[in-house]
Amino acid sequence: MGVRTLAKGFYVKLAWANIRRSREVYLPYLIACAIIGGIYFLVCGFAMSGELTGVPGGESARALFQMGVIVFTVFAAGFLLSINRFLVKRRKREFGLYGVLGLSKAHVGRILLLENAIVLLGGLACGLVFALVFGKLLFLLLLKLMHALPQNEFRPAPVAYLATAALFLGVYFVSSLYNLAQVHLANPIQLLQSEKRGEKDSKLVIPMALIGAAMLGAAYYFAWTVESSGTAMGIFFLLVLLVILATNLLFTSGSIAVLRALRANKRFYYRPQNFVSVSGMFHRMRQNASGLATICILSTMFLVTLCGTLSLYLGQEKTLAPQYPYDVQVSGYAPYHDRLGADAKLAALAEEHNVVMHADESGLNYHNYVEGEANPDGTVYPGSELYMQPHSLYLDGTLHFDLEGAEEDREAFLDAARQLSMVLKNEAGEDVTYYYRVRDIWSARQESYGMYGGLLFLGAFFAILFLAVTVLMIYFKQITEGYEDKERFDILQQVGMDEKQVRGTINAQVLWVFFLPLATALLHMVFASRILTRMLQSFMLYDWVLVLCCALGVSAAFALIYLIAYRMTARAYFKIVKR
Amino acid sequence: MELLKIQNVKKVYTTKLGLVQCVALKNVSFTVSEGEFVAIMGASGSGKTTLLNILASLDKPTSGDVLLGGRSFASVPDRELSRFRRDNMGFVFQDFNLLDTFTLKDNILLPLVLSQTPVKEMESRLLPIAQMLGIDMLLGKYPYEVSGGEKQRAAVARAVITDPQIILADEPTGALDSKASVHLLQNFRALNERAGKTILMVTHSAMAASYASRVLFIKDGEIFAQLYRGEDENRAFFDRIVANLSVLSDGGADIG
Ligand SMILES: Nc1ncnc2c1ncn2[C@@H]1O[C@H](COP(=O)(O)OP(=O)(O)O)[C@@H](O)[C@H]1O
Ligand SMILES: [Mg+2]
Repeated sequence: MGVRTLAKGFYVKLAWANIRRSREVYLPYLIACAIIGGIYFLVCGFAMSGELTGVPGGESARALFQMGVIVFTVFAAGFLLSINRFLVKRRKREFGLYGVLGLSKAHVGRILLLENAIVLLGGLACGLVFALVFGKLLFLLLLKLMHALPQNEFRPAPVAYLATAALFLGVYFVSSLYNLAQVHLANPIQLLQSEKRGEKDSKLVIPMALIGAAMLGAAYYFAWTVESSGTAMGIFFLLVLLVILATNLLFTSGSIAVLRALRANKRFYYRPQNFVSVSGMFHRMRQNASGLATICILSTMFLVTLCGTLSLYLGQEKTLAPQYPYDVQVSGYAPYHDRLGADAKLAALAEEHNVVMHADESGLNYHNYVEGEANPDGTVYPGSELYMQPHSLYLDGTLHFDLEGAEEDREAFLDAARQLSMVLKNEAGEDVTYYYRVRDIWSARQESYGMYGGLLFLGAFFAILFLAVTVLMIYFKQITEGYEDKERFDILQQVGMDEKQVRGTINAQVLWVFFLPLATALLHMVFASRILTRMLQSFMLYDWVLVLCCALGVSAAFALIYLIAYRMTARAYFKIVKR
Repeated sequence: MELLKIQNVKKVYTTKLGLVQCVALKNVSFTVSEGEFVAIMGASGSGKTTLLNILASLDKPTSGDVLLGGRSFASVPDRELSRFRRDNMGFVFQDFNLLDTFTLKDNILLPLVLSQTPVKEMESRLLPIAQMLGIDMLLGKYPYEVSGGEKQRAAVARAVITDPQIILADEPTGALDSKASVHLLQNFRALNERAGKTILMVTHSAMAASYASRVLFIKDGEIFAQLYRGEDENRAFFDRIVANLSVLSDGGADIG
């Protein structure tokens, strides 16, 4: 018994020592866990707690968050698992060493389980604390985006805790299985050698690169030329898939093909700077191309998500305008049947409620929102029935009018108007009551803010998730490459390259590796903005300029964050190289 | 002709805080003539690597000076050092120090590329050296695809391709098995006898030292003794080296 407890303490100690020793890797991992956990918890909280139901537009926002939870679960679990995979892969040598030193696989497995548990639990705890501290603030921010007033405080439902705990438990379970499999499947010799493997390029490099280029070309072409919003919606996810595949192919095979061509050109290759850079890039791309492709894809997802949700949010008035050329629309059988009577009835009701209804023809100056043909000169379709009424405008069975007066009065009037009805006899001679259908721009706007405010908020959460993972991947790359480059740096100096030259080549290489994904992501974004515009037309948003502005703004902000992340991680990199 | 002259070199390592001092070299003086093959022997920690790093201008002596072909290291400005090193010296290290990102060919060409040699000349220089070292069939391979002995021969090729005045080797056989060691040492001898290269090799193996024409013994940071080969065959010279070691190093137990 005493021996067992001692042994247990020993494992915890070893696991803890491992984490501390590689804190430059584990600390960012922990932070990522915290961010993912915290955001997940908040999304669950907003989706599952009652606070949103009370506020106007809250129902649509809440429904959105409920859908968001599902998508979020997939992404969060996927990210956590792939980070774990990355970390375990680069530790294979260490596991091999343990084996050689006489620690059995079961022991190594136990240490790994403990490490994993410590980091995930730590991350989860930090995330929850962060979410509880900032949750109220973020809830207020959400309400502000929704243009709604807070009714009660945000208190996450217990089920949100449960869902978050379940997510982490699931991730712990799956990642532990993976880690144990990694330890158990390989023998120590293989593990020790695993870092040196796989430097050979496949023979298919050039065909693969060509396929990648063709796929990307096709995706770009369709994204640029798609005409109808229905088709755009239909093919969007297909194109996303195509772009992901193409990006992967181009990064893995395309880069190698280009580098080969450079190497084949002896006059170019055998120059000091090029010589070291090209060979270094070969090495980098063979090892990290898919990592770079992932960074690029994540960046693109960040850009598209934020650009789409931001466009919708900022374009709300533009979406509303064609739907509500005038403040209020009254339709239904009764106004259709008796337009003059309806106009008079409504005007009387308006007077009763201290509001004034009126309409002129200026409101007809809107673009037709029916898909396909715009109505550029602002006139009404030929064949439409258009009559000016004393207080309103009659267009194809609907009365349109503006409403002036205090807000309460307007609301009272609208409520009263919704009670208006008309009794008519049908063909069988029975009495049938027909109600007026009243729609007004104010509640539509409220509904719209609830919907798009919630969407923007959710989009921002996703964007933070993508960003956190992107920055983390960049950081991990810098660290691992730092250790490799340190060796190269030393050898190059021994062979007679001076320090400035070495620094120059390494700098150039780091810049390339770093900005290739960013540049590619921005290029993807240019084409995505086109198809995004088409898709937003299904939300009645017809404004490429707005989408383009959002794309530009979001891209600029992203490039800035990327640059900051680069500066910070580059510092970690140079610290390692110069050590 | 006198090629390398080491004058009263002393090296003291100081810890960061300056509290503990470690005297790695006390007072070392000797000369190496052109065309010589000199081995430096000593126990682990006796200051061999320190000495070699100073000869390689990778490190500076605390006092004393080193002259190569009459030029004092102290007179070479810092920014010219790497060029000076590249033009005048070739290095072979215990752990090869080849770059995994280059093929053997490109590893060997590296110093020439750094001094911007035309492609044609590089290739014409490469082939005879690779043939002499027996690695001409392996030039397209990467370091992790060949054996330790082959890696070390590539490292030797890289050291000699610039046609340096002197080749410095720090325990070049340290990571090799005995067969590969013999092969490498025969390469060294060929370079020395047939190509007339001056070689200075640090080693703690008497077998390796027995290929040299002169052996210097270093102990606790000082040159302790030296042996000339004279007319001896390898075997006889080896026996003399071993005898010398056991006489001079407290029973010789800590050698090797
Ligand atoms: N960078 C250093 N800082 C402090 N002491 C050092 C350093 N390098 C070597 N030494 C010390 O100098 C002595 C000689 O080392 P070294 O030249 O490496 O010996 P050898 O190569 O003969 O084994 C040793 O006592 C070693 O601890
Ligand atoms: Mg040494």
